[in-house]
Amino acid sequence: MNKKLPISCPSCSSELKVQSLRCDSCETTINGFYNLPLLLLLEQKEQDFIIDFIQSSGSLKIMAQKLKLSYPTVRNMLDELIQKIKNLQPKIS
Amino acid sequence: MITKLINPFRYIAGGYSLMIGIVILFFTALIGFLSNTHFPDIISVKTSSDFPFNYHIFQIFSNWIIVSFILYIISIIASNSKVRIIDIFGTQALARFPYLIVSFIGFSSSLNNLGKNLTRQFIQQGEPVELSVFTIVIAISLIFITLFLTVWLIVLMYNAFKISANLKGYKSILLFIAGLIISIFLSGLISNLLIQA
Repeated sequence: MNKKLPISCPSCSSELKVQSLRCDSCETTINGFYNLPLLLLLEQKEQDFIIDFIQSSGSLKIMAQKLKLSYPTVRNMLDELIQKIKNLQPKIS
Repeated sequence: MITKLINPFRYIAGGYSLMIGIVILFFTALIGFLSNTHFPDIISVKTSSDFPFNYHIFQIFSNWIIVSFILYIISIIASNSKVRIIDIFGTQALARFPYLIVSFIGFSSSLNNLGKNLTRQFIQQGEPVELSVFTIVIAISLIFITLFLTVWLIVLMYNAFKISANLKGYKSILLFIAGLIISIFLSGLISNLLIQA
């Protein structure tokens, strides 16, 4: 089963933080208080878009062909994502 | 399916839509020439006396170039995205598809006869024309079909502008209306000059 990482609190919808990390090999557990990385704050489809974009060598034309969408549609999706990342950056810094 | 009919630009834009659009514009001019249907500005439709083929070609293409150019200028001023000229011109050309269908209406004499009849009744000009119920029904149907196709054209033009310029909400609506009004005025002016020439 592909488990989805929760990024917001199911109770109050606030952004969740990382409290604990565990090593599967030696069973060491680190406790702390960490922000989620910026990429994990994006929705799954947005993360997929970024991965596709990198795999397409940053070419919107190739992305448009892959997604079977027009060039301006894909460019608009990228621009929206850039704006969303800009809005998220002050939260995590 | 409905998305593809009212917003095909999600899937087609740039050079591909430009090629299809130019073919659509050419055939709109050709059919308009054969059916005596012409387009004195970017949204008006008229059936009237014979005009040469060159006139139809010039009118159709100048309408498209004017509206595309105006919307392009608006886009580069108002949009934060990098707007490609080929997207604006290509999608606006493809958006004119409903008027390819409209160019067929002149093949029916019903609208012309209704026009002549109304002219005779209200301003006492021209020869009296007898109208059958069938002719009236056909003429009214054609008016509604043309109206529907005009609305479709405007929706397509707006969606083409919105996607090509990456504009949203009230800003995109207001800018599009402004562009449309300027384009109607300019294209009408050029058509008048063309008729006078």
